Amino acid sequence: MTYLFGRGAARAWPYGLVLPGLLLYLVFALLPSLATVVYSLTDTNGLTPAPLNFIGLANYQEFLFRGAAAGENLEALMRTVLFCFLVTTIQFVVGLLAALLLNQKLVGTRWFRALFFLPVILGVTIQGLVWRLFLYPLDGPVDSVLELFGVESELLGGSGLGAFLWVTVVQIWSNMGITMVIFLAGLQTIPDELHEAARIDGASRRQSFWNVTWPLLTPAVTTNLILSIIGSLQAWQLFLVLINYRPGTQVLGYVVYAQAFGQTSGSTTSNSFRQGYGAAAAVVLFVVVFIVGVTAQYLLRRREERLLG
Amino acid sequence: MRKILAFLMTVAVATVACGGTTTPSDTATATEAPASAGAPSASAEGGGLPEGTLRVLVHQNPPFTEFMETFNDRFEAAHPGVTVDMAVVAPNELATITQTRLAAKDVDVVDMFAFDTGVQSYMKGVTPPIWQTLADAGALMDLTGQPFVDLYDPSAIADAGTYNGKVYEINLGRVGFSGLYINEDLFAANNVAIPTTWSELVTACQTFVAADIPCMTAGGQDVWPIFVTGYGILGSAYPDQAALVEGLWTGTIKWNDDTSVAMWEKLRILATEMIESGATGIAADGAPGRFASGEVATLSGFTWLAPAIEAAQPAFKWTFIAFPGSDNAADNKYVFGKYDQGWTIAADTPNKDASLAYLAEFSDPATYQEFVNAVGAIPTQPDATLDTALGRAIAPSLGDFRIGWERYWIPPTGAGQFAFPYASFFKPFGEFDTAQQAADAAQADLQAGLDASQ
Repeated sequence: MTYLFGRGAARAWPYGLVLPGLLLYLVFALLPSLATVVYSLTDTNGLTPAPLNFIGLANYQEFLFRGAAAGENLEALMRTVLFCFLVTTIQFVVGLLAALLLNQKLVGTRWFRALFFLPVILGVTIQGLVWRLFLYPLDGPVDSVLELFGVESELLGGSGLGAFLWVTVVQIWSNMGITMVIFLAGLQTIPDELHEAARIDGASRRQSFWNVTWPLLTPAVTTNLILSIIGSLQAWQLFLVLINYRPGTQVLGYVVYAQAFGQTSGSTTSNSFRQGYGAAAAVVLFVVVFIVGVTAQYLLRRREERLLG
Repeated sequence: MRKILAFLMTVAVATVACGGTTTPSDTATATEAPASAGAPSASAEGGGLPEGTLRVLVHQNPPFTEFMETFNDRFEAAHPGVTVDMAVVAPNELATITQTRLAAKDVDVVDMFAFDTGVQSYMKGVTPPIWQTLADAGALMDLTGQPFVDLYDPSAIADAGTYNGKVYEINLGRVGFSGLYINEDLFAANNVAIPTTWSELVTACQTFVAADIPCMTAGGQDVWPIFVTGYGILGSAYPDQAALVEGLWTGTIKWNDDTSVAMWEKLRILATEMIESGATGIAADGAPGRFASGEVATLSGFTWLAPAIEAAQPAFKWTFIAFPGSDNAADNKYVFGKYDQGWTIAADTPNKDASLAYLAEFSDPATYQEFVNAVGAIPTQPDATLDTALGRAIAPSLGDFRIGWERYWIPPTGAGQFAFPYASFFKPFGEFDTAQQAADAAQADLQAGLDASQ
């Protein structure tokens, strides 16, 4: 085999080429993450002149066990998992259906592909502002439709569960374009000859999908599920833009932001900064994402090996 | 090569020529000469200030920010060479951005809410408020002895800007948040008398609702205007709000005792029968315009909204009353509020002279009076008056102005989310149907924090 980088000292070239990227990763990702763990063991408030005291696991004890606030933190954790489940499953199905439709040779498919992908490039702030207008409770579009059915609702300003579900809808809407694109790419790698052969053998469209398309979509399925699971577990920006703090709506990512940067969260008012406590919440979130992400990846890789050999 | 050198020389010369030092102002009213880079520091009272950019951070309040833009233009005209770079942020983000910009040494003058919610002796294990943390960390400049401090009420300086014997903030005014704006034309057209008691308010609202007129509006999109609207009800039940806070901490007052349950029932009525459906779609800044449209009978009585109401519709006839939260009219005389915004200076600002001059010129009585008229603040300078429609309406209540409970309240660490007297906990804005549900949930969440603090 020809070694592209030559012999002797030239073999160091690949490491040198990787080094800048590695340094960037160390400086902007790994080291800040390690620093977060360290800060979680202190009472830091983020002010440089203020003293920083090591307090051990006190932040974790408070986050997980102290008073009613700890119960609300665990509720936020369960809500985060529920959010992840709803977003992942619904976005997966909607994205797959859209990809299957757009993989047909129909008029206007390119235009519809762009339309489905448009929310992704808008960014969280624009997505949230658009939907706030859409969900305006005083004769906004959705309110007007609901009134036709005699339904009155404050929509985003109503019950916590209702607001939470609306944010879920917006999250799905804003990201299903990515799911669709990945599935579309996967569909387009499946040779037409396989479908033709299945047709010749008498397979129905459903049989062709489950026995030909679905197994060969496995890499795209894995990618979409991993991205969606990890992304939705960490999501909080749409909650901030759409509803800010409302009782019964918080997810863990929002708790991290609110506690660390002096926003209202549960009984914490916007009057103090607790970045050490926020860091502890961030570490808890990381542990959850790590466990769920690694488990999902393991199961999905095993499925890939089983289906594709 | 020659052409390249010639080009570079040209660029260099053009850069030097375009680089600004001082620019003469044709609207300058000050007599001081523009300062050059090598000049010694001038006093804050006059004379040239060193050139530079003065970084000011303020919160969003349209009448205030409009006034500040005018003030900044005048300041720049008076001090050529000084550019004021004012950043405007949402009120609920002011603390966050203050903390980050102070940590980054990226701000000189900061608009900061008053030094209240200090840790009291009966509060155990609570986190001190941000201003206290900033002062303890040496992030704020000590303003003690500055001449402009003497222009303010000593009590305002002591109550809202002093910590450990040092002055860190000049407080610019008080605001009331427990009143009610009345749409006079709508009341007259529907033969409804301006209420003086709770029962009269309930009857008035029922009359308006029956006529398909929204009784009350609030900027509910930001949530806090809904529950702050209920502070008048809280004040009628507990006129001594410092004692209320101490009682909650020590257990002598509970959120589900008889007085509190009666209060919760009124908060429920406020949320379910008074505040208009769809109020959560109205931004806090948009509520004055909604009220000034004349379509709603009343508006949450936050005194800082008055200039916006007048600006939205100058011909609109309105008045302001203390919220009638009790059936005993004598209990409804108080207006609860807080010391609102003030100026602080970053301790390590590189623009010390300009920062002090900024505060000094703002504190000039004539300028301060303009500020009071623009934003509708209850003055903290003894000679300033609120000579506006709001000032005339609120004048009878000023002698009964009291600091509201939330300026004393720090919840115990570990308290739950319902440990507050918020009307927004009731449907359609929240989860609860009955006063007892809310009262029990509030006390349970408060007690959890008190128990965890032992």
